[in-house]
Amino acid sequence: MFRRHKPSVAEHKKDFAVHGAALPGPQNDMRSFFNLSQLVLSAGQLRSPPILRHSKITYFEVEILDAQSKRQICVVDKVPPSFSLLDVKHKFHKTCPQWNPSRIGLRLERNGPYLKDSISIQSLAVSSIITLYFTDLGQQVTWTTVFLTEYSGPLLIYLLFYIRLSSIYAEEESTESFRHPVVHLACLCHCLHYVRHLLETLFVHKISGGHTPLKNMIKGCAFYWGFTSWIAYYVNHPRYTPPSFGNRQVIFAALAFLMCEAGNHFINVALVQQNHSASFPSPTYNPFTWLFTLVSCPNYTYEIGSWISFTVMTQTLPVGIFAFLMAIQMSLWAQKKHRLYVKKYNMGALRKTAMIPFIF
Amino acid sequence: MAAPGSGGAGRAENGYGSQRRKGPGALATTYLVIYNVVMTAGWLVIAVGIVRAYLTKGSYHSLYYSIEKPLKFFQTGALLEILHCAFGIVPSSVVLTAFQVMSRVFLTWAVTHSVKEVQNEDSVLLFVVAWTITEIIRYSFYTFSLLNHLPYLIKWARYTLFIVLYPMGVSGELLTIYAALPFVRQAGLYSISLPNKYNFSFDYYTFLILVMISYIPTF
Repeated sequence: MFRRHKPSVAEHKKDFAVHGAALPGPQNDMRSFFNLSQLVLSAGQLRSPPILRHSKITYFEVEILDAQSKRQICVVDKVPPSFSLLDVKHKFHKTCPQWNPSRIGLRLERNGPYLKDSISIQSLAVSSIITLYFTDLGQQVTWTTVFLTEYSGPLLIYLLFYIRLSSIYAEEESTESFRHPVVHLACLCHCLHYVRHLLETLFVHKISGGHTPLKNMIKGCAFYWGFTSWIAYYVNHPRYTPPSFGNRQVIFAALAFLMCEAGNHFINVALVQQNHSASFPSPTYNPFTWLFTLVSCPNYTYEIGSWISFTVMTQTLPVGIFAFLMAIQMSLWAQKKHRLYVKKYNMGALRKTAMIPFIF
Repeated sequence: MAAPGSGGAGRAENGYGSQRRKGPGALATTYLVIYNVVMTAGWLVIAVGIVRAYLTKGSYHSLYYSIEKPLKFFQTGALLEILHCAFGIVPSSVVLTAFQVMSRVFLTWAVTHSVKEVQNEDSVLLFVVAWTITEIIRYSFYTFSLLNHLPYLIKWARYTLFIVLYPMGVSGELLTIYAALPFVRQAGLYSISLPNKYNFSFDYYTFLILVMISYIPTF
């Protein structure tokens, strides 16, 4: 607009100059004032406009195909390059509301790996249209929900067996009043263990907010709840046999149990604090953290220690089987974490083991 | 269970037709061929044993005793297949193979061998015959596959005959377990009850019933 009017004003002036200053005085002034005002009006903003000319933001289009049938489900358009994959998933959710963003699995190739939410669209783009393959990952639940369900189940189930619900031990012996003190102690320890887990899930752990398929939660709950029922049945049974070595065995095992519980708690607190720092957690004045010098996942060490102590305390084979299976599972987790830590924190020279000092 | 699971094949058969996974090396292939040939021969021995015993006795009852030893030997030898999967020379899932082999071994040792009274039952003959035919076809299938010379007859037999052999095997197995139940209860076989030092109890009778029930979802 500025440019358009400029020549006309200049032309005017040129005409004027060509015709010379032949016009009478006051009319001349009026004319020039008129021209000036027109100039001012046509100039628009006095600031010079930014030289943006033809630069538009290149919007991407994300075409989403079904991974199995290759049919197009929808096209998410007007995706600015600053978007992350999670934002695209949210937009996709708006067009197809039956899939929550957490259950949308997107990948670049039909059989390739799933893309992470944090990836930016910019890094995926080869042209202005990006093709992604969609898979419905199924009903998802948050990790917090999973842990809370997995830990509150055993807490309640054990108590149901402890109070000797009539449908479980339907024998005349169950009305017998004498129960060896170790049974009460075992109940206390078991509840302490799971209450600690629940409180740590709620207040200590910073869970990343990711999701996991519902199937995993069902499997985990079946494992924990099933084994707790099995254990609780034998420990609270009317025909329960107390440990062979008597009170000494019970007290020793109970102390070991408490120590392992405390150790597990302090390690979890230390690991949460570690997330803020860049280095591997180091042992502090707290003696329970000294295990960090020998082992990279001492929380699993203490957990196994708790369960072995509980086995010795109750002298019950099913508890031993449970402890054994947990040890296998935790050693797999510990190995994975150990490898991650060695890479991330360059710990190769320290010769730490994953879970059991000097052995494994 | 007479399930036609994949065990000794050295090639992953998938819908794309091409060999996607690397097969086992030359040494592993040689070993697998020998293994499959030995197993085929073994089950042929069992088959011949059954036929000879039938011809000698004139009836099909109580033929188990004639082939008891080779049956135990070669069925237990199938445990090696779990190791094959674990070492990766066979592209099958360890869990699936373990499940199949353990169910067979369980029936051979923990039911038929342990409960002697059941060995005269006709249901034993039923599952032994089903297993014999299935295994002969299966092991020869693997042998030929490894040598890349699979006759169509074997392939047809494997994927068609199981329609008859699998229900036959499952019925034989279920009937045998069912026949064993009263004897287990009577003898208290493999069972331990409270109270005891380790606060543990196990009832083999209930366990066998659960095993029978578990056949339903795996069917």
